[in-house]
Amino acid sequence: MTHDRLAAAAITRRNAIALMTGAAASASLGGASFAQTTPKRGGTLRVSAFTNPSSLDPATGGAGSDHTFLYTMYDSLTEWDFETLKPKPGLAESWSFTDPTTFVINIRQGVTFHDGTPLNAEAVKFNLDRAKTDPKSNIKADVATVASVDVTGPMQVTLKLNTPDTALPAILSDRAGMMVSPTALKAASAGNLNRTPVGTGAHTFVSWADGERIVTKRNEKYWKPNRPYLDGIEFALIPELTTGARSVTAGQNDLIYQLPPRQKAIVERARNLKVVTGPTLYCFQIFLNWGKPPFDDVRVRKAFNFAVDREALVKASLAGLAEPAAMTLPKAHWAYDKSVAELYPYDPAKARQLLGEAGFKEGTVVELVSYPDQDSVQRQEILIEQLRKAGMALKFLNAPVAEASAAFFGNEKRGSGLLAAWTGRPDPSQTYSLQYTKDAYFNAGRAPLPPELDIALKESRATEDIETRRKAFAKVQRLVMENAFFVPLAFQFELVAMNQRVQGYRPNLLGKPKYDDVWLES
Amino acid sequence: MARRSPAKVIGSRLLQALPVMLLATFMVFSLLKLVPGDIAVTLAGENASDTRIAEIRQIYGLDRPFLVQYGSWLANAMQGDLSQSLLSGEKVATSIARAFPNTLLIVAIALVLALATGIPMGIVAAIKPNGLLDKVVSMLASLGVAIPGFWLAMILVAEISLKLNLLPATGAKPFLASPWEAMRHALLPAIAIAAYGMAEVARQLRGSLLEVLSSQYVRTLHAKGLSMSKILWQHGLKNVSVNLFTIISLLVNRMLAATVVVEAVFAIPGMGSLIVRGAIQRDFPIVQGVVFAMVIVVILVNLITDLLCAAVDPRIEQ
Repeated sequence: MTHDRLAAAAITRRNAIALMTGAAASASLGGASFAQTTPKRGGTLRVSAFTNPSSLDPATGGAGSDHTFLYTMYDSLTEWDFETLKPKPGLAESWSFTDPTTFVINIRQGVTFHDGTPLNAEAVKFNLDRAKTDPKSNIKADVATVASVDVTGPMQVTLKLNTPDTALPAILSDRAGMMVSPTALKAASAGNLNRTPVGTGAHTFVSWADGERIVTKRNEKYWKPNRPYLDGIEFALIPELTTGARSVTAGQNDLIYQLPPRQKAIVERARNLKVVTGPTLYCFQIFLNWGKPPFDDVRVRKAFNFAVDREALVKASLAGLAEPAAMTLPKAHWAYDKSVAELYPYDPAKARQLLGEAGFKEGTVVELVSYPDQDSVQRQEILIEQLRKAGMALKFLNAPVAEASAAFFGNEKRGSGLLAAWTGRPDPSQTYSLQYTKDAYFNAGRAPLPPELDIALKESRATEDIETRRKAFAKVQRLVMENAFFVPLAFQFELVAMNQRVQGYRPNLLGKPKYDDVWLES
Repeated sequence: MARRSPAKVIGSRLLQALPVMLLATFMVFSLLKLVPGDIAVTLAGENASDTRIAEIRQIYGLDRPFLVQYGSWLANAMQGDLSQSLLSGEKVATSIARAFPNTLLIVAIALVLALATGIPMGIVAAIKPNGLLDKVVSMLASLGVAIPGFWLAMILVAEISLKLNLLPATGAKPFLASPWEAMRHALLPAIAIAAYGMAEVARQLRGSLLEVLSSQYVRTLHAKGLSMSKILWQHGLKNVSVNLFTIISLLVNRMLAATVVVEAVFAIPGMGSLIVRGAIQRDFPIVQGVVFAMVIVVILVNLITDLLCAAVDPRIEQ
């Protein structure tokens, strides 16, 4: 299937879902029919999850793969729209900026934590203060702009900001917005809820055996009407995705998410399974170290961007299950800018010319860091060939993920680039400030950036109006891409395989599965 | 020659084990610290800055000198505290207590299978060297040695679990709660690692049996009119039993190592999966704990082998 047809199929499916309000939709790209029935309550969903979470406390955890577990047990102040990631009400019923540095949150009435503690302004203040001050809090950066949190009503908090930050509504859909029970936290001897999560979510925690299983059960007092449908969720923690896929084929589990594209043909052959795909923010990209040669020269960085044939890469190495990337955001995102997308068409001649202007000697070896797994190596081979046509000889230094990224971003400064991926963030401004500020960890060279970029980034956080923000992000993206600070390659599609009993699963743009609307056919 | 009491043998063996334990844990600890990749980066979360990562190092004591870190781990381990996972906070002892029975069951079944097939094959081959049966056995043995365990594992899953649906494709069940289910889950992975064991047992047994059967005293036994089966069962096998015990002990240690790969294919939460997860995430308390436990197991296996050998062959005494 070509990429365009696939994207079209995904969009059609999403429109179809949008039309079917209230009812959950069963979707399969394989051309299966839409079985429309009323959602049933009951049953335990068995999910094959590929990683042991780093923690089940939202404030102290560290891995992006934790969210899919956290979402079941915690609600966040805001939630995101599945298709566009625009923030929408969650535990916060509404919010507003009364002035650029004053952010007022009105909290939903009648919500209680799993331990019976009521959710109110005090609880929200407690959580936000903890995010800022707990020494083990990993979300200090998320709430860095919050100067103070005041209780301004039984169900209202007011955040005083030290600088305008309209990214907050989106940020509060992430870890920082996930509310933990203050009672449980104060009672916890370790000072965290790493292993004893207590939130307000649709499910309550039952057990977690490291590397083996996480079990949740229905929260009988959940505030969302008719939710959850499931009696519980059992996550089998299976690190090998191929093994996990086999467990679903064999009927030992019901669903597996984030399968690599090459698994698509395999799971589609299994007749008892159906497959759901959709675009995500997960972006394969090459991080460049523009603090040292050869990428300290913007012409060389631009040349690299011209030299990559993204369409071919998607077809050959991602089974067509991806969207060629021209910037950090995919087409479906609210802040996508079409004009930026046209900056780097595939043009090896242009690349060659730019390299010539930069005095780059034909065939000079450029070392990039990457990973030794099958999929990465395949992408490397394609890139080597594409860059060879432009006159650059790529050499890949492969190492396991932890080692490779530490060597590239950390003190060693190994290689000039890193072929890896960027997982999405709820607000685009997070993605940009984490990579394109002077002291950002993901700015490998810790090299300076044009001052306009910093100003544009600040602008993007200064207004709440989404049109104005869109324009601000267009400017940010244009600056990033005109300076060619990185080489975007492709947005991987979410690939979820499940057996026929599973209904109502919808992919989302963040690419981190939520099971809110999932139910099981008996 | 004075016979030493088993208690003394055990005591001196355990004393000898101490330096082994120290060396093994120290080497693994050094290796983990030498390879690039830093758990502080993971601990600091996705949105971390350099300063935050430095802060995390301090909070978790990862900025202390290397020897101090090892020393503090060792001091705790001496008191029976294997500390906890830096990431998830689960006690390492808890993880090991849950994982070890899964691995042990696989290795036990694999060993039984390897011996049940390997011993008859070795005997059959040795009775008529270069006969047809011998050739079949050596072909099977070559296959067993040559076939990679992970490949056999995947073929077994594809055919027996996915196609025929006879045995579960993944996972493990606790043995005490449901022995039957636990064995069903462990059978395929056990077969995958037993193949190599079978080959090894058959080849080694054939070799040592041939040596015994061609010795002069066996010729004497023939000459005095003892039947072939009596020679084989009463004299031949007794004399190769020491070799056999040694093979078994080597095999057990080898199979424990082989579980690392096979557990990944079958998604079995055993010792192999545990140490792989610990190593990949640089969660060194886990790795240290597993190495610690494994060293104990290997030492125990060797000790039991020595005692058994000494029991059947009084010449092995010192």
